[in-house]
Amino acid sequence: MNRLPLEGVRAVESSYVYAMPLAASLLTDLGAEVIKVEGLSRIDTTRGGFYGGATPDNVPGPDPWNRTSTYQQLNRGKKSLVLDLRRDEGRRVLKDLIKVSDIYIENFTPRVLRGWGMDYPNLVKIKPDLIMVSNTGYGHGEGPYSQWPAQATTMEATHGHCYVTGYRGGVPSKVGQSFVDFLSCWAALYTIALALRHRRRTGKGQWIDLSMYQMGAYWVSDYVLDWIANRRLPERIGDRHPWRAPQGCYPCAGTDQWCAISVGGDGEWSALCRVMGRPDLVDDSRFATGPGRLEHHDALDQIISEWTKGLDKLKVMELLQAAGVPAGPVFDARDVNANPHSWARGFLQKVAFPEEWHMGKRVFMGLPWRFGQEPFQIVGPAPGLGQDNHTILRQLLGYPEAEVRGLEEERIIGTVPAEPPAVPKLTLEDEVRLGRLAYYDSDYKERLGI
Amino acid sequence: MQEEGPGEMPSALEGVLVLDLGQGIAGPFCAKLLADFGADVIKVEPPGGEAGRSMGPFFHDDPHPEKSLFFLLLNLNKRGITLDLGTATGAHVFKELVTKADVVVENGPPGHLASFGLGYEDLAQVNPGIIVTSITPFGQNGPHSRFKGEEIVEYAMSGIMYFSGSTDREPLKHGGFQAQYDGGLNGAVATAFALLLRDLTGQGEHVDVSLQEAVSSTLVLNQPYYSWNGGVQGRRTPGELLWRNIMPCKDGHFIAQDGGGASWDDIADFFGRPEMKDPKFSVPDSRLRHGKELDQIVLEAAKDRTRHEMFRTACEQYRILFGIVQSPEDLANCPQLAYRRFYQEVDHPVIGRIKVPNKIIAMSETPCRYRAPAPLLGEHNQEVYTGLLGYRKEEVVRLRKLNVI
Repeated sequence: MNRLPLEGVRAVESSYVYAMPLAASLLTDLGAEVIKVEGLSRIDTTRGGFYGGATPDNVPGPDPWNRTSTYQQLNRGKKSLVLDLRRDEGRRVLKDLIKVSDIYIENFTPRVLRGWGMDYPNLVKIKPDLIMVSNTGYGHGEGPYSQWPAQATTMEATHGHCYVTGYRGGVPSKVGQSFVDFLSCWAALYTIALALRHRRRTGKGQWIDLSMYQMGAYWVSDYVLDWIANRRLPERIGDRHPWRAPQGCYPCAGTDQWCAISVGGDGEWSALCRVMGRPDLVDDSRFATGPGRLEHHDALDQIISEWTKGLDKLKVMELLQAAGVPAGPVFDARDVNANPHSWARGFLQKVAFPEEWHMGKRVFMGLPWRFGQEPFQIVGPAPGLGQDNHTILRQLLGYPEAEVRGLEEERIIGTVPAEPPAVPKLTLEDEVRLGRLAYYDSDYKERLGI
Repeated sequence: MQEEGPGEMPSALEGVLVLDLGQGIAGPFCAKLLADFGADVIKVEPPGGEAGRSMGPFFHDDPHPEKSLFFLLLNLNKRGITLDLGTATGAHVFKELVTKADVVVENGPPGHLASFGLGYEDLAQVNPGIIVTSITPFGQNGPHSRFKGEEIVEYAMSGIMYFSGSTDREPLKHGGFQAQYDGGLNGAVATAFALLLRDLTGQGEHVDVSLQEAVSSTLVLNQPYYSWNGGVQGRRTPGELLWRNIMPCKDGHFIAQDGGGASWDDIADFFGRPEMKDPKFSVPDSRLRHGKELDQIVLEAAKDRTRHEMFRTACEQYRILFGIVQSPEDLANCPQLAYRRFYQEVDHPVIGRIKVPNKIIAMSETPCRYRAPAPLLGEHNQEVYTGLLGYRKEEVVRLRKLNVI
């Protein structure tokens, strides 16, 4: 690609955890310059603890807060500026920075920026064409839940996903890793593109008010509409499909190896029978029609499991896909990182760390879409805390050296967190024993070629 | 109610003409998101209607092609025409439409449009600025690109299913059609950036969205973990700690999380159980070791309390990160969603008046705007073929006689 869509666009981001940090990172893939702002007393949550994920090779290094796997994946390609926003001097610098930027992304609870006089109505006075993205749990305003605290892990229950997820006949189930954060991330990208287009045509900026709850609820809106129209509440059906049958997750050779298979019409059904070496089943009247297969789903599950349990999960995929039956193995993290398809498409990319970090290369996920054949390239790893303090303040904002030194002495800026986050001391064996990991590969670097 | 801007607000996608060939969920949702922000979206269906019209649930369980609730949901704000792309005449007419259009959205298998002579290259010849957004299970290229997808297959191969559910059971798919919605939103994102780039270059793009990659993108803990130390996260062990997971109360389920603005003492006070302030629970590491005991205290404290009372008290008085398991009925009646104008009253010619989930994003200058219910099959044939393409009425009749429309 000769040009990137966001060349010449600068974004400032002061946000935490998943949704907005990731959105800002993806902007760097698209050509934007992105400056992440954190305080020494309020560093991003993903720099340590559970949300931080792993330290490289389980070695914390001198600055573990810069090296955790989740922080790195969510902040790749950015610059880092430290500012203590609880103090006037810190907020003054942020305002100066916003004046020379196009986009400001934040996820404070609504009252924080209002308290600082830095909500959109105030910021637009100093930067009239500012595009500002605010991401909160329930959205800004005076709604009944607007001021309530929220995080994706509890919100997935509230926005309806847990109700529709669960083993057949079982209780509601959590849906995993902060699912709704990513909906907000993508919504931020979409609205930023729309707002830039509008600004290009009219010169006007605007405020984007994202509510994770509202996004999450839309993802189950077909069920909500079924309630509104038909007063029907869904049953939890596990891995089955409301109308396709058989569908499920079938055990394959090895420990905890599975392949998902989904059969819809009669053509796919007879193809499955042929591949399983059971042409006799095509003539079995119980299974001859879609409704019949739904009714006798348990029997079909047993038949299919008998066939899959001796086969490699990839083999099941290949045999069925070749016959035109939707099938795919349940990939674990090793499979995801090794998937030849993702490498061929450039979804996975190896990113080199600076020599002095002694981290070599690591595998990052790029954008889930591309223009033509060319994937967008990841710019580089995430920055060390405050690594760009001086360049941004001196060169971009034109502060005199003495002023920057003053900010440093006042601890408005710096490079070492006030309280470095605790480094998990568990070995990988411990993590397996505690059930936090299923297993680990000590040869993962060879496997990944890093 | 949240303020809605004055009536004459501008639209972000003013002047953008979209041809929506999408079927089912992902393609139509992508095009709907473009329509919500002002694009003129013409839904182009085969003469028999697109697949979404036969997807249940249906209004009053009547499997009528105008009563699919999926179709109603995902096609608000569009105009609708019919056109058989598989015929030479239909393909010719489509190319004429493409000369007027900015974006084509489709979610057929890779190569499907090209087999009618309507692939990206063919369309770029008649309109170099055209953006063709293709949403597919595995993308346009790569060894798995021709694989058949289905929601569960995309979920399985994304990597998310492996750690969903319980270790003594099979991996568990999330309910519903999350991968399809994810793909639709990503299609809109990519299309909007392609439009921005086209402003700079004048060139269109073939936008290639992969559902598998969209779902994989959410693995920001799991995928890099392996690349950092080789660790692979699995499913929950049965009988594991309930705290921080779904827990029962009087009339359903709730979930609470420590951290955020609330202290552990706040959490103990909220449950009205001073014994929770004991260091064996208040110290995080120790809390895990005494998890079973903690669960018993919390379950006992919650068993006579209702979801909504707990939700309000925990959030308002104690600022605890707290959620309740809400059903579709709860969501349909939710005052916060009403405040955010999530629902739109739609007056549909066949279904009648009905409340439909609609608005997901608030933009101050270019808001999401409702204009029209989902189109009936071929409802705007006359208007589009005579108006936009300037065909004479007899020509349109001829197309109908040939079963092209």
